[in-house]
Amino acid sequence: MSERDLTRRRAVLVGAIPAVAASVLALTLVPAIPAGAGSSSDTTTTTTATDGTDDAALVAEGRELYDISCSSCHGATGEGTDLGPDLVGVGAASADFMLRTGRMPDTNPSRQATAKRPAFDDRQIEALVAYVASLGPGPPIPNVDDPRGSLQEGASLFLLNCAACHSAAGDGGALSYGRNAPELHSVGRTQVAEAMRIGPGPMPVFGPDTFSNEEVNSIVEYVTYLRDPEEPGGISLGVIGPVTEGLVGIFVGLGVLVLVVRWIEARA
Amino acid sequence: MIIPRLARWLDDRLGASRVARSTLNKVFPDHWSFMLGEIALYAFVILLLTGVYLTFFFVPGSKEVVYDGSYAPLHGATMSQAYESTLRISFDVRAGLVMRQIHHWAALVFVAAIIAHMSRVFFTGAFRRPREINWMVGITLLLLAVANGFTGYSLPDDQLSGTGLRIAYSVVLSIPLVGEWMAFLIFGGAFPGNDAITRFFVIHILIVPAAIAILLTVHLALLVRQKHTQWRTARAREDNVVGAKLWPTFMAKTVGLFFLVFAVVAALGGLVQINPVWIWGPFQPAAVSAASQPDWYVGWLEGALRLMPPWEIRAFGFEIPNPFYGGVLMPGITFGILYAWPFLEARFTHDHAEHHILDRPRDRPVRTAIGTGILTFYLLLFIAGGNDVLAAQFHVSVNAITYVLRVLLFVGPVSTGYVTYKLAQELRARDRARETTRSTRPPPPTAVLRRTPTGGYVEG
Amino acid sequence: MRDKDRDELTKAEWRATNRVATGFAATTLAAIGLAIVYWQGGQTQLEGVLLALALGGLGYGFVVVAKRLLPQGPYEEERDPLPASDETVAGIEQDIERGEGWLDRRGFLLKLLALAGGALGLAALFPIRSLGPSPGNQLKRTRWRKDSLVVDAQGNPIATDALEVGGTLTVFPEGALEAEDSQTVLIRVPEDEFRPREGRADWAPMGYVAYSKVCVHAGCPVGLYQQDIKRLLCPCHQSTFDALDGARPVFGPATRSLPQLPLYVDDGGFLRSQSDYTEPVGPGFWDRDR
Repeated sequence: MSERDLTRRRAVLVGAIPAVAASVLALTLVPAIPAGAGSSSDTTTTTTATDGTDDAALVAEGRELYDISCSSCHGATGEGTDLGPDLVGVGAASADFMLRTGRMPDTNPSRQATAKRPAFDDRQIEALVAYVASLGPGPPIPNVDDPRGSLQEGASLFLLNCAACHSAAGDGGALSYGRNAPELHSVGRTQVAEAMRIGPGPMPVFGPDTFSNEEVNSIVEYVTYLRDPEEPGGISLGVIGPVTEGLVGIFVGLGVLVLVVRWIEARA
Repeated sequence: MIIPRLARWLDDRLGASRVARSTLNKVFPDHWSFMLGEIALYAFVILLLTGVYLTFFFVPGSKEVVYDGSYAPLHGATMSQAYESTLRISFDVRAGLVMRQIHHWAALVFVAAIIAHMSRVFFTGAFRRPREINWMVGITLLLLAVANGFTGYSLPDDQLSGTGLRIAYSVVLSIPLVGEWMAFLIFGGAFPGNDAITRFFVIHILIVPAAIAILLTVHLALLVRQKHTQWRTARAREDNVVGAKLWPTFMAKTVGLFFLVFAVVAALGGLVQINPVWIWGPFQPAAVSAASQPDWYVGWLEGALRLMPPWEIRAFGFEIPNPFYGGVLMPGITFGILYAWPFLEARFTHDHAEHHILDRPRDRPVRTAIGTGILTFYLLLFIAGGNDVLAAQFHVSVNAITYVLRVLLFVGPVSTGYVTYKLAQELRARDRARETTRSTRPPPPTAVLRRTPTGGYVEG
Repeated sequence: MRDKDRDELTKAEWRATNRVATGFAATTLAAIGLAIVYWQGGQTQLEGVLLALALGGLGYGFVVVAKRLLPQGPYEEERDPLPASDETVAGIEQDIERGEGWLDRRGFLLKLLALAGGALGLAALFPIRSLGPSPGNQLKRTRWRKDSLVVDAQGNPIATDALEVGGTLTVFPEGALEAEDSQTVLIRVPEDEFRPREGRADWAPMGYVAYSKVCVHAGCPVGLYQQDIKRLLCPCHQSTFDALDGARPVFGPATRSLPQLPLYVDDGGFLRSQSDYTEPVGPGFWDRDR
C-alpha cells in the first residue's frame, strides 16, 4: 500500500560514468567557432607583390566586369556615388581584399560589409583588381612569404595591436552599434595582410611606415597559427573565455553532480 | 577482534567511547538536496589536494625572465616568473596541465555548489532559528570562496587576469577618502606594481584557505550540534530526526560522493580546456583582449560595472567615481541583505520560533518570490558581464544589449518574482484541493455481500 | 519468509555485489592505465579520463554498497532541546560576575584598560604603512615631460609619416616603455574633421592626436580605434570616446574625457610632447580634482 503522495519523478541514474560520458559526447557536438561565410583560397592568390596593371587586356576585361557589377555604386569611372566610395588610389590590395573575402559586391551598403562566398572566380578577380589598380596608385597586393615573418614577433605584435578588437584567440569581437571585428580563422593569409594595409571598414590603417612588410608578415604567421593553435587542454570551447567556461562548469560540472546526488538518494 | 581491542585502547586514553557511539549512530535525513553542501565541501578538498601539487611548481614572482620552454610562439618573449612557471606547468611538467585544469574546474564547481546549497537553504527556510549563525558562517564562506577564486586565477599573471586586476585596482581606488591609500597599500604602489602576485599568493594558499577551513569546521560543528533539518513526512516531526545512520550507510554514501565529485572534475580537467593562458599571453599593461571577462562567479560584478550609466558624485573638488557604485556599493548591499536575511524575515513574519522542519518553497510564496527575483537580478548582471560576447556571437549591437539589460535589470526580477508568487499560490491551491477531495471521498466498503443462487447472503 | 522471497532478495544483492565489483575492477584497471600513461610521457586527456574512471569506479562502488547492501533504516533519533533551563542560563551570569567586587571604586581601571588596548591595537596597525608607498602625487603625474620623444612599443621614434590617416599606434615617452600610466594611443585623424577643444589648437599637429590609453572608468587600455566613425572603444565596459572632440565619452559608464597629450613636431620631424598631461590620467579617485 503506498500513500498517494505528491511524489515527483526522480531521475534514477545508474552510475555517474555514463552521465559523464554522455555530457562529454554532448560537448564534442557543441559547434566550435563561428565560421565566417565564404573564404578565399591561398593557393590561387599570387604570392608576388603586384600592382596589377601589367596586362592591358586584363585591365580591359576588368573594366567590362566593373561596368556590370560595380559601377552602379562606385561610379562609371570609380569616382564614387552616394552608395559607394571612390576607388581612385585604393590600390590592388583593397580590390583584392574586398573581392576575395566576398565583401564586395555589397548588397547591403547601410551595414558593415561582411565576408561571404566570393561572387567572382579567380580570373575575374584578377581582372577587376587590375582595373581598380589602374585607376590610381595605391597599396599593392602584399607578399606574405617574403620577407619571412617570425611567429614570435607576430605573437608580440598581435597581442598589443590586434587582440583588442579581434581578441587574443582571433575569435573577433564586438564594436559599437552592431559592427564587429571579424574572426580571423577563415580568412586567407594574404587577405590578413591586405586588411592591415588598407584598413577596411572600422579597422585602422597600418601602412608601411607604421609596420614594415616583415612585421606584417610576422602578424600573418601568428594569425595563421591561431587557426589551429596548440590546445593540449582538450576541447577548447573556441577560447571564448570564462563565459563559456562558467556555463560548462555550472551546467555540466554541477549539473552532472546534481544528477549524481539524485541517484545516490533515490529510493529503491 | 581488532575493533574491540582498538576501541578499548583508545577509550583508556581518550575516554571517548560514549561520544564515539553517539557519533556512529547519528541520524542524517536523506534527501538529494541535502548533499549540495557536500559537493562544495569535496570540491574544496580537491582544491586543496591539487593546489598543494601546484604550489610545488608555481613561482609567485614578478621578476622578468625570458621564456625558453616548449611553447613555440612565446619563445624569447619576456614575462614574469609567475607566467613562465604557469607555462612550464602546462607544457613541461608531466600531468601538470591536468592538475592545473582540475584545480580550476573544481573552483568553478565549488562556487556553483555553494550557491546551489545556499539557494536550497534559502528556499526551504533552513536559515531560521536556531540556524542564523550557521547561515552567516555560510555567507562568509561564499565570500571567501569568491575571493580565493579571484586571487587564484590572477596568479598566472596572464593578460586576461591582469586586466581584471587593473579593474579591481580601480574599484578599490574609487572608495571615498581612503581608496587611494588602500590601493597603494594592497598593491604596493601604483598599478601594476611588483607586489601583487606575491601577496595574492600568500592570501590564496594560506590566509583564505585557513579561514575557510576554520569556518567549515564551525559550519559542520553547528550542523552536528543542532542536527540537520528535514522535510515534513509521516514520521518526521520538529523534535526528531529521521534518516540513515552515520555509520555505515551515510559514510558510504558521502565517501562515494567524494569520489564521484573528484571523477567529474577530473573528467573536465582532462577533456575540456580551461584558461589557456598561452593564448592570452603574458600580462602587458598597455594591451587588452576583446571579450575579457572574469570567472563566472565575479561576472555579476563585471555586469554591474558595464550597465552603470555614466553617473558619479562630484562636489568641492572631491568625487566618488563611477566604479564605486557597481563595484563596492552594490555588492555591499547584496551581502548586507544576505547576512541580515534571517533576522529580516523573522521580524517581518513575527516568527521567532525554532524550526527543524523545512518549508516547501510553495508554502512560503513571498520568500520564494523574493528569492527568485534576487536570483534573476544577479543572473541578468552575469549576462550583462558578457554583453560583448553576446553581441559578437549573435551579431547584435552591444549598445542595444546594454540599454535593454538596464531596463530588464528592474523589470525582470519583478516579473519573475510575480510569476513565482502566482505559481506558488496555484500549486498550494491544487494541494488543498487534493486534500479536500481525499477527505470528502466516500469511505471504502467494509464488507462485500454476495447473493447465493439459493437466496442467501454470503460475505466475500 | 517464503523461499521465493529469499531467492529474490539474494538475486538483488548478487546484482549489487556484481556492480560494486565492476566498479572496483574498473578503478584498478584505470589506475594501472594511469601509471602507464604517466610513465610513457603523459597525455592530458588520457590522464583526465583515466583518473575520472578510477575515481568514478570507487565512487560507484561505495554508493551501490550504501544503497543496496547496507541497512537503510529509516532510523529515528530524538532532538534534545537546545535551550537550557532559565536557572542554567542565569547561572552563566553568576559565573561571569564572580568576584566582580574588585571593580568597586576602581571603575577607572576599566577605562584605562580600554585606553591601553586601544593604543596597542592602533600601534599594531602601523606596520601596515610599510605595505606600500604614500600615494603622494603619483596618480596625478605620468612619465611624460616637456619635449619627451614619442616612441612606439619597440622604442622607435614617430616621424610625421609614421601613420596614415585612419591609423593608430600605442606610444610611450622615450625611456618609459611599458610605463602603465604613460601609455598613450596615437591616432591620425582627418585634419578637416578634427575639432580641437578650447586652448588646444596646437596640440594635434598634422592630424596626429594623442589620448591617454588608460580608460578613465576602470583603467583598461582603450585599445579599439574605429577609424570609420573616429571613436575609441574600451573593450572592458564599452565606454566609447569621440576622437574628434577631445575623446568626449559618448556611451558607457565613463564620466569624463580621456586626457589629451599636447604634441608638437620637432626640428627632426619627430613627434614630441609639449608637457605632461594637464590632468590626472586613468580612473577617478577621491581627491582627483584637487
